[in-house]
Amino acid sequence: MFSEQAAPTAEGLLTPPSAEPPTFPRVPVSGYSDCSQPFQLGERSFSRQYAHIYAVRLAGMRPGLERRAQNRWGNDVVLRKLSELQAGEKCCVVGTLFKSMQLQPSILQEISEEHNLVPQPPLPKYIQPSDELLLEDELQRIKLEGAIDVQRLVTGTILAVYGSEQDDGVFLVEDHCFADLPPPLPWNGPSSDRFVLLASGLGLGSVSGEALLSTQLLVDVVTGQLGAEGEQSCAAHIARVILAGNLLSQNTQSRDTINKAKYLTKKTQAASVEAVKMLDEILLQLCTSVPVDVMPGEFDPTNYTLPQQPLHRCMLPLASAYATLRLVTNPYQADLDGVRFLGTSGQNVSDIFKYSSMDDYLEILEWTLLAGHISPTAPDTLGCYPFYKSDPFILTECPHVYFCGNAPRFQSKLLQGKEGQRVLLLTVPDFSATQTACLINLRNLTCQPITFSGFGADDED
Amino acid sequence: MDKPRRITDSFPRRRRRGPGRPPGRLKDKKDKDKVQVKVRDCPRAPSQPPTDPALLEMLRRFDLSWEYGPCTGITRLQRWERAQELGLSPPGPIRDALLEH
Repeated sequence: MFSEQAAPTAEGLLTPPSAEPPTFPRVPVSGYSDCSQPFQLGERSFSRQYAHIYAVRLAGMRPGLERRAQNRWGNDVVLRKLSELQAGEKCCVVGTLFKSMQLQPSILQEISEEHNLVPQPPLPKYIQPSDELLLEDELQRIKLEGAIDVQRLVTGTILAVYGSEQDDGVFLVEDHCFADLPPPLPWNGPSSDRFVLLASGLGLGSVSGEALLSTQLLVDVVTGQLGAEGEQSCAAHIARVILAGNLLSQNTQSRDTINKAKYLTKKTQAASVEAVKMLDEILLQLCTSVPVDVMPGEFDPTNYTLPQQPLHRCMLPLASAYATLRLVTNPYQADLDGVRFLGTSGQNVSDIFKYSSMDDYLEILEWTLLAGHISPTAPDTLGCYPFYKSDPFILTECPHVYFCGNAPRFQSKLLQGKEGQRVLLLTVPDFSATQTACLINLRNLTCQPITFSGFGADDED
Repeated sequence: MDKPRRITDSFPRRRRRGPGRPPGRLKDKKDKDKVQVKVRDCPRAPSQPPTDPALLEMLRRFDLSWEYGPCTGITRLQRWERAQELGLSPPGPIRDALLEH
C-alpha cells in the first residue's frame, strides 16, 4: 500500500516548506463494537473443579457434531453413547479426546519422593510415539485405534468417531470428523480502503534496545510523522491499531529477587515497572492519533489463566486519559466496521504446538477453527478459569479475521468455507524478533506485512 | 500415671467461638437454596417445618443424575439453570422446590 502511492511524492521532501502544509484527516471511526463480553470475568470463584468446563464443552458441541456426523456418514448412522456400545456394531460416538502422554509434565511426578526425580526441563515438544488416544463421554472412556492420527490431535478436542468396538475393548476408528467451520456471519465490510495494523510482541523492557528504534518507527509511521505526503496520506487510512500481547519482554519476568537475600534487593524494583512506563509513553503517542486496542499476553502484568483480563488503566496513566485507548481481554473479539475480528495473543497456538506434531502456526490456527474451539488444551495444559455455565472458547460464529499473536513468522491465508464463510487466517509475528507488523485491508480482506528496520536493507513495504 | 503429662497441658486448647454462633455448623450453610439435611437450632429461622424426606430424596436424585453434569461446587439452582440452557430439560418441580425453600 505504501510504496505505490509514496514514491511519486518523494520530491516533496526536498522543497521548501509551504505556507499551508497539507493535512490528511484520518478515516473516521465508524461501527466499532466490542464483542468480548464472554471473556470478561466479573466475580471470580476458584472453588470449582474443571469437570464442569469439560461437561459444558461436550454438551454444547454435541448437537453440532451429531449433525455433522449425519451429514457425513448418512442420516441413518447410529449415534451411541459409550455405555451403549455393542461389540462389532458400526456406530458413531461423540466425545472428548484425551491424549495420555508419557512426557507430559506432571506436578505429581515431580514432587513424588519415591521417584527422586529432578524436574523435567521444558522441551519444545512433548510428543512421543507411545502416546495413546482415549475418547471420553459423560460416563466412560475407551481407547481409540485405527484411522486416526494420534500425534496430531490434542487433549480436549470434541470430535465424532465412526467405527466399531473390538472384542478387546478398543474402538477401531474408520473415520472421524470435527465440528468444522461455524456458521458464517453476514458481510458488512467497508466499500473504501480501510486498514487495521496488527502488531504483537513489542517486548519492551528487554536487555537489548534494538527493537526500540523499530517500535518508534512504527509509531511515527502510524501517526503520520514519517515520510512524504504520499506516505502520510496512506497512513491516514489506518483506522485502528491492535497490539496483540507480549507488550513486555520475557526478561521482565525474572524472579531472581525472590531467591536473593533481602539486603541485596532492597533498592531494586521489578523490571516491569520501567517497561510499563515505556509502554505508557509509546501508547500515549499512538493514542493521540489513532484508536488502539491493547491485548495482554503471556508476559504482561495481568492474570495467567485464560481468558486474560484487560490491563488495569492505573498502569498507563498518561495514555488512559485518551478515550482512544481500549484495554481489552485476551482472547479478543470485536466488530470493526462490520468485519468481525477474533484473536488471541498466541498462548493457545503455542500450547497446541508443544503437544501435537503440527509444526506450522498457521496450520494449527486453521485446525482450531475447524475443530470449533479456540483453545482445546485449556484447562489440561494451559491455565483456564473454571467456567461452569458455558465454555466461551467454543466458536459459534465464523469470524472474518482470525489471528494469533507472537508467532515465529508472518503467515496469512484466506480460507473459503462450504457455507460461504470467508476467513482471513493470520499469524502475527513477534515484533521484537522480526520487526514486522501486519496491515489488513478491511475492504477485501488482504493482508501484507510491513517491516521496520533502521539499516536500509528493506525499508517500508 | 496413665497418660504422660505434657507441658502444654497447663494451657489446654479450646476452640474459640464468636459471640452468638451456634455450636456445630454445616459446611455450606451459605447456600440458601440447598435444603438443610438435619434440623439444627438456627437463630435465623426459629420455626422451621420438618423437612420432607421425599423432597430430599428427589433433590438427591437430581444431584446424582449424570445427564446434567457434575454437581459439586455449584448450587442446585445454578445446576438446574445450566441444564435448562443446554436444552437437557431438567424437571420443573425441582426448580419450584429449590425456590420455595
